[in-house]
Amino acid sequence: MTKKNTRQSRRLFYCIVPFVILSFLFSYFPLHGWIYAFFDYKPPLSLSQCEFVGLKWFETLFANKTQVSQMIQVMKNTFAMSLLGILTSILPLGFAIFLNEVQCKWFKKLVQTLTTLPNFISWVLVYSVAFSLFTDSGMVNTLLQNLGVITEPIKFLDSDAQTYLWMTLWNIWKGLGWGAIMYLAAIAGIDAELYEAARVDGANRFQLMKNITLPALMPTFFVLLMMAVANFLNNGMDQYYVFQNSFNKEHIQVLDLYVYNIGMTGSSLSLATAISMLKSIISVTLLMIVNFVSKKTRGESII
Amino acid sequence: MKKKAISILLCAAMVSSMALAGCGGKEKQQASGGKNSDGTYEEFITVDVFDSLANYQGMQSGWFAKVVKDKFNMELNIIAPNVAGGGDTLFQTRSAAGNLGDLVISGTANGRFADMVKAGLLLDMTDLLKDKDVLKNYEAAIENANELVEQEGIWGLPSEISNQSPEVSSDGIEPLVAPYVRWDAYKKAGYPEMETLEDLIPVMKTMQENTPESDSGKKTYAISLFKDWDGNMMVGAKNYASLYGYQELGFVMASADGSDIQDITDEDSLYVQALKFLFQANQEGLVDPESTTQNYDMLSNKYRDGQILTSLWSYQGPALYNTTEHKEEGKGYMPALIKDMKPYSNGSYSEGNANTIIAIGSQAKDPERMADFIDWLYSPEGVRISEQANGAAGPEGLTWEMQDGKAVLTEFGSKALPSNDVAVPEEWGGGSWKDGVSALNFKAVSVADIDTTTNEPYMTTMWSSELEKNNTQLDQEWQEYAGGAKTTLEFLESKDAVAVAPGTSYTQPTESSDITTLRNQCKAAIVDSSWQMIFAKDEGEFQSILEEMQDTVKGLGYEQVLELDMQNAKDQAAARVEAVEAYNSQNADAE
Amino acid sequence: MKAAQKEKKKKLTKGDITFSVINYTVFILITLVCVYPFYYMIINTISANDLSANGFINFLPRNIHLDNYRQVLQLSGLPTAALVSLGRTVIGTACTVMASAFLGFMFTQEKMWHRKFWYRFFVITMYFNAGLIPMFITMKNLHLTNTFWVYIIPAIVQPFNIILVKTYIESIPKALQEAAEIDGAGILTVFWKIILPTAKPILATIAIFAAVGQWNSFQDTLIYITDQKLYSLQYLLYTYINQASSLAAMVRSSGTGAISAAMVATQQTPTSIRMTVSVIVVLPILFVYPIFQRFFVQGIMIGSVKG
Repeated sequence: MTKKNTRQSRRLFYCIVPFVILSFLFSYFPLHGWIYAFFDYKPPLSLSQCEFVGLKWFETLFANKTQVSQMIQVMKNTFAMSLLGILTSILPLGFAIFLNEVQCKWFKKLVQTLTTLPNFISWVLVYSVAFSLFTDSGMVNTLLQNLGVITEPIKFLDSDAQTYLWMTLWNIWKGLGWGAIMYLAAIAGIDAELYEAARVDGANRFQLMKNITLPALMPTFFVLLMMAVANFLNNGMDQYYVFQNSFNKEHIQVLDLYVYNIGMTGSSLSLATAISMLKSIISVTLLMIVNFVSKKTRGESII
Repeated sequence: MKKKAISILLCAAMVSSMALAGCGGKEKQQASGGKNSDGTYEEFITVDVFDSLANYQGMQSGWFAKVVKDKFNMELNIIAPNVAGGGDTLFQTRSAAGNLGDLVISGTANGRFADMVKAGLLLDMTDLLKDKDVLKNYEAAIENANELVEQEGIWGLPSEISNQSPEVSSDGIEPLVAPYVRWDAYKKAGYPEMETLEDLIPVMKTMQENTPESDSGKKTYAISLFKDWDGNMMVGAKNYASLYGYQELGFVMASADGSDIQDITDEDSLYVQALKFLFQANQEGLVDPESTTQNYDMLSNKYRDGQILTSLWSYQGPALYNTTEHKEEGKGYMPALIKDMKPYSNGSYSEGNANTIIAIGSQAKDPERMADFIDWLYSPEGVRISEQANGAAGPEGLTWEMQDGKAVLTEFGSKALPSNDVAVPEEWGGGSWKDGVSALNFKAVSVADIDTTTNEPYMTTMWSSELEKNNTQLDQEWQEYAGGAKTTLEFLESKDAVAVAPGTSYTQPTESSDITTLRNQCKAAIVDSSWQMIFAKDEGEFQSILEEMQDTVKGLGYEQVLELDMQNAKDQAAARVEAVEAYNSQNADAE
Repeated sequence: MKAAQKEKKKKLTKGDITFSVINYTVFILITLVCVYPFYYMIINTISANDLSANGFINFLPRNIHLDNYRQVLQLSGLPTAALVSLGRTVIGTACTVMASAFLGFMFTQEKMWHRKFWYRFFVITMYFNAGLIPMFITMKNLHLTNTFWVYIIPAIVQPFNIILVKTYIESIPKALQEAAEIDGAGILTVFWKIILPTAKPILATIAIFAAVGQWNSFQDTLIYITDQKLYSLQYLLYTYINQASSLAAMVRSSGTGAISAAMVATQQTPTSIRMTVSVIVVLPILFVYPIFQRFFVQGIMIGSVKG
């Protein structure tokens, strides 16, 4: 490297220094708080007044056989939900591609706007609506009974049958339109000349979709996919929390919900920190692995 | 060039923000005690009240604000964790910042009182309270509560202090639970007598048949449950055990008199029997199938519509459905008698209830004024005015007055109470009555206690002048059944069917985090199994879920938690005996 | 472009028509499913509360009234809170978008000193969570608690947005930047003149994300703000909802249930309040959304920039 190049490369770096500082201040510096995971921290006492417990919190979750078997079930659920989430992450992509094929502009905008609505409804309210629709005396059951399709109301909300499927469906419903926004933006960035050139060559609609639109969306898709994999353990808990009941608990309890159910009510800040620390480490490791795999198979790393 | 500009801009933004922050966060000035010789206060101050009981956040407004302003020349800024949300977040961040507020109203469970003192968040009030009435009147109770703290001093005052015997119910007119039934349906069934809880099942069946539809035409159910308040056990089932004089403490149910302590996972325990009762009721089609998925809010709507025919809590069926219109039609929830029951009721706290305390924050602006304010809260006038939300009358002359030596509500009072949207006259502070009610929600003295000014309880619904007003068709029918009793508690007492647990200053000791974690794991298993047992297909399934639950909790380490709870229950029982003895000996001395 | 469209219209085949019919139908169905719950909330909040509580309002509103909305809109402090929310949304979004655009662009500059390292430095922060108390103490030490800037400054660097921008810029032909550089343009000129215009769709996207994030956020107010003049709209409404549910809970803890319960009985239910609040909060988003949309339906003619 020549001197000039080095100087230029340094100069490029100086441009981002303010942001590095911000990131350090608000993301890295507070990490000293991970130390709480090794104490039995009990507000209002200060940390120095609390007992040092070492790795106790990491062991608590696996202290005995029943806990381990509970944990295995919880991890099964977490994996199932995450896997289904990843498999269905292709849907917003498809949504965007097909919406792009709609010629009528106002229709396209309307669909795009209205399908983001579910994203703004909190899970608590989603459950209220779901309750009024799907409970025993709810609209769906009443309708089906009146039509004579069923005689006994279907237990939509409190049976453990197909819990995974139902939760995935709710998730898709909530995230489909919102998730498609990124892809729609990427489509808007495709050089229109490409389409024209291909059309001149006699490509039909599906060929255009497959050979131009889809490849253009792939980089975004892979980045999101990779992040989804790294987020394998983080299903969030709101959704599962509002839908959980004693009858579907076995299959609905994902890691985040389990942690909430056993930890939060006792307000053990230390346990919560220990778990979040563990999750961070696993996420970053997964990220590295996926990145490595991507480098080997696709020839380019994602981050 | 431009990149420089951007980074300079950013730096400038950060610097200016810090400067701004510096300006905003000016150190609070230490106000001098500033009390004038005539008892007024020099400087107007805003008092931050950290109040874990409050259901309102922000500046106190309306008539109560005027009282506080006139008396103490200050305004109350209520900081309410319940409203702020995020569970314990507000407490954690404020204690991390070292200042909870000028006044602190907080729970003490799990060693929190001692911890707050240890963390230097509270002020020792010994000198401040020296010549105050509150210390003279309630010294024993105050000392008792402060035994929770290692350090010498008066760090906090207990709540709900009472001059009555611990064996007198503090519940006023309604105990914790009672078998309220839809009286119109029960009447149609011909007031069938019930010896035991099991006899309730056929009665409920008849009621469900004779009242098949709610006011809006929906199908009725005798029983409906909800899940969101389940804690160590399923609340819906626990209540039936409370009908027999037991109350929960961790994983045990302890009888009011302390003679019996039951492990709730034990097959013979009242809790499991209650599950069995609900299971049988469900077999008969008496349990609302939506019980499993609804929340408190949804169930409340059903009660308002009259869809559910029985209720154990007075604040569900009776409070939500017994409107004047319904009562005049003879419709509403009233307690029936099950001969062998003995509903649990909390006794009066002659030693004060140390589970909730009021204290002065260590960074308080004007500690003397805070002490004066606290002193006032414990005075008869303070109780009447500040505990209005809990049933007291409010300011004399506005809501009530003395007539022929008896306290009666004024016309304004009967319109405004308990908490209605009625305009308050300007000279009393204006605004709506409802919005002006004290947001502190702190019960310094029990409202069931006798107000020496009126010689009647603070609680207006217990006034003789008010009880006379209960004469709708429903009231008359029920009073006839109840042999002339005017309130649920009076009725139960006349049948010797109430179990009063003597009020004590007992609080549960600090629990180690391990135990808490274990407890949370066990309770999830217990609650889930309880629900499944109620909705089991048959007796066999009921039994097998029970056994599976017992195995699971055992595997988790239930024994450890149970041992602790058993010990706590024993300590509590001992404290109850002590409290009664202490009260009796004190009163004997006095006489 | 127009010519191409015309040509296509002429050549509408049977297959094209079938495709369109199916495509439109599916989108109409999806849209209906997405809209219904929101519609349900609207009709329930404007119908008589007892009818809606008993589940009678499913398709059409009945006994229309606006009490629910009136109650919420009368909340004290609402105008200030709305202003704070508006302010943080506008300023916060502008900052985030500019920072993300700039950083996303900078990380496409392969010449940058240890580019990969610094990129990862930002990206992995997405997976960290230091926890409540350390964050609070950090903010307090930076004197950010109880200032408006606590809404803005910590939100400037958003790794997810940076990734999106970077990915997008990488899909733009390199030739564009190179051509400009040969003409003597500095890195910032390239950013300003070439990258910003071509990246409009993705910037609009992250603007939407950032704006919605700012508009909907209430956790930061809860943790860092005690000054009521700085409450955000969402937080104020959140406390309003909490107040309703905590009144219900108070009934349970209070021994004198019947009295306090009378208060609850006359109140709206927490669910109806929640729905009202939700409608009030979402509607502004729906109105602002089309403004951003303009940027990505347009489509960018990269060819023309190049030429």
